[in-house]
Amino acid sequence: MEKKLIGQVTPAERDEIKRLFERRNGLNELAKILTADNAELYERLIADMGETATKFQQWWEKMATLYNWESLPDGNWEINFDTCEIFLNRP
Amino acid sequence: MLQYMIILLDDTSTSFCHYDVNTAKKRLINLDDLRAGIRMAMIENLTIQFVYPDYDLPQEYRDVIRTIDHSDIKPLTNATQETDVMTLDGWSWHVETQYLESRIVVIRTSLHDLLAHGDEVAVLLSKAQRLNVVITDVERFSDDQQVIYNEWLGKMGQEVERLYVNGTLPQFNLLTDRMILMTMNNCGAGNSCITLAPNGKFYICPAFYYENHEDSVGDLVNGIIIPNNQLYKLDNAPICRNCDSWQCKRCVWLNRKMTLEVNTPSHEQCVMAHLERNASRDLLLNIRKHGAFLPETPDIPKIDYLDPFDNINN
Amino acid sequence: MYPIKQESVEWQSGKAKNITFIVTKDCQLACKYCYLVGKNDKERMSWGTAKEAIDYILGHETDFPEESVVWEFIGGEPFLEIELIDRICDYLKVEMFRHGHHWFDSYRFSFSTNGINYHSEKVQQFIEKNHTHLSIGITIDGTHAKHDLNRIYKGNGPIEKGSYNDVVRNIPLWLEQFPGGGTKVTISSPDIPYICESVLHLYSLGIHEVNINCVFEDVWKDGDDRLYENQLIQLADAIIDGEYYKDYACSFFSEIIGKPLDPKLHNENWCGAGKMLAVDASGNFYPCTRFAAYSLREKHPIIIGNVYDGIDKNKLRPFLTLDRLTQSPRKCIECEIASGCAWCQGENYDAADTSTIYQRSTAICLMHKARVRANNYYWNKLYRKLELEGEREQFENNRPKLNDIIC
Repeated sequence: MEKKLIGQVTPAERDEIKRLFERRNGLNELAKILTADNAELYERLIADMGETATKFQQWWEKMATLYNWESLPDGNWEINFDTCEIFLNRP
Repeated sequence: MLQYMIILLDDTSTSFCHYDVNTAKKRLINLDDLRAGIRMAMIENLTIQFVYPDYDLPQEYRDVIRTIDHSDIKPLTNATQETDVMTLDGWSWHVETQYLESRIVVIRTSLHDLLAHGDEVAVLLSKAQRLNVVITDVERFSDDQQVIYNEWLGKMGQEVERLYVNGTLPQFNLLTDRMILMTMNNCGAGNSCITLAPNGKFYICPAFYYENHEDSVGDLVNGIIIPNNQLYKLDNAPICRNCDSWQCKRCVWLNRKMTLEVNTPSHEQCVMAHLERNASRDLLLNIRKHGAFLPETPDIPKIDYLDPFDNINN
Repeated sequence: MYPIKQESVEWQSGKAKNITFIVTKDCQLACKYCYLVGKNDKERMSWGTAKEAIDYILGHETDFPEESVVWEFIGGEPFLEIELIDRICDYLKVEMFRHGHHWFDSYRFSFSTNGINYHSEKVQQFIEKNHTHLSIGITIDGTHAKHDLNRIYKGNGPIEKGSYNDVVRNIPLWLEQFPGGGTKVTISSPDIPYICESVLHLYSLGIHEVNINCVFEDVWKDGDDRLYENQLIQLADAIIDGEYYKDYACSFFSEIIGKPLDPKLHNENWCGAGKMLAVDASGNFYPCTRFAAYSLREKHPIIIGNVYDGIDKNKLRPFLTLDRLTQSPRKCIECEIASGCAWCQGENYDAADTSTIYQRSTAICLMHKARVRANNYYWNKLYRKLELEGEREQFENNRPKLNDIIC
């Protein structure tokens, strides 16, 4: 896989996607232990997973448009949380 | 540098501060220890304060005490014309009691009782040379009590102002000390002041003796050895060294009791001291409305905190 | 881009609250340098105590404003209590979510393990279930000889049994699961002759980050500092000549150490005690695990509350206002190579003349000085090499930000 530096975001923008990334991971690991028996929490979890996934995708689309990032049909973007750098991964 | 030596003449010597005397069993200091303590104070240039029990000392003790300049701290029940500082424990005494006038009077009281005895405090302010109120339950002071204590200090401030307008300015530790101070003026235990107990050993202050007799910092044979003595100095107290509640007792015994460190005051001690500081500020401003007063002393600045710890940690 | 590998920065360093569950005071090992003087197999945390602690902490969100949290599990050996830990972590996840707690978006579960039962089914199931939130460090001290010098199985028999073989077999699995995993090495007096070979051995196992520190206790003998310096210089030669510095990090060598510290600008405390919170099997809260009874040789524990009554904030005030100058003796304040000289608040307290955290222990003074001398040697040698190879300017231009490591 090739990795190419294509841009950079601000620390505030980085914090936004980092929080969403962490939340998505948290929800995924919560989903492994929460069952439908706990109806109220389970429904909240499912709704939250959908909402977080949407926000996650929207962030990438918004930033890609804002910064005019290069893209590939079968590639994906990646962020380095330490440096705020954005990379394009091509298979 | 040490300047004062407190000598507890008996285990039942009166308390003049936050600590309680937790024994009723009399034990006079050994006469030789008393002589040795006085000798040491003379050699080291320390001013002695003798603290008395509520009974008369034997003549030979009085003879020894008379050999040195000193101050006497006595309970009301044993006070005489010569008593310098008289202690009142609680409120079961009468304002017409003999010897109140022109004395330094120390009242030990709970906050609750203090708030309920404002009238007696007002009378004392008009009679005594100086009034020191020692609140004995500082550790139980809650944030909910801030308003009520603040109001009480305000009322006492009005009383002091009234007396000033009528020609006398009483000395009242909670309100007038801060008005005239230019730097910290704390208790000084372990720094400027040391205590010789009836067992012939030295302690940071009487409270340390009554809390634990094993907690001594030297004796009359080997001298005074205070390990980590720097911790009793203002420069080594991170919360206090930049604080301007200069009237605060900064009680190192309460510090240790509440925070486990002699150099760190509790939230309660800080808040009380700041309420007193702010009430002093208001009093100073009000007195100055009547004309020039301590013109060389600057106003006490307005501040927006009650606990300087918050400034360090925010 | 950077020709020199730096130690990785601690996750959310300075932004995370560290909350430690002392789940057991038991361990399979009886390491000779272990500061835990009161280890035993009786004091195991119950689920009820753990739950009370969690309920208290999550129920007082405003008292814990830190952006992130590291839920840490220590022992003894924490993985001896993997079932309890699994239950605690599940409960934490559910409750953080239920409360809508801000930590749900930023948490880690952290472990420092001896690695002996790392491969066990229960530990592996736990890792799989929580992988994205885990930080696990396995302690391995170096070569077989060095490791087994100290890290021996407990027992009263006359023959000491080392634990190296039982730990090293789990290193590949651990590195596969946590490729950036670092190890923590502790040095006491008898370990000094093995330092160089041990670090190189750890590199050879595929561990790219080796964090080492000397024990803070007063265990050092005359001449240890010179031996230590010689070992570090040998290590410096090996790292530079072998070009390990490109892909491997060793905490011995750091550009920030060995400089004078400004009394005003650099007056912060080194240690994070008080900013952390530890809870033990009795439900008592401590400013750090080092203040629990089982960690202390001479002093009473400093208990700052419990899971039922909460935290006594007055007891935290000395910790939160502690600064470098107030606790340091004159020789430390005036020391011209003070930077990087660490201290442990718990050891300071334990070794102090009175019951105070405000007396800095200086038992490692000579060892720090030796480290600084070797560190100077390392950087002088490395810079010269980079200069000759035309890489120095590139390094200077891309110099990464350095962060103090808080223990």
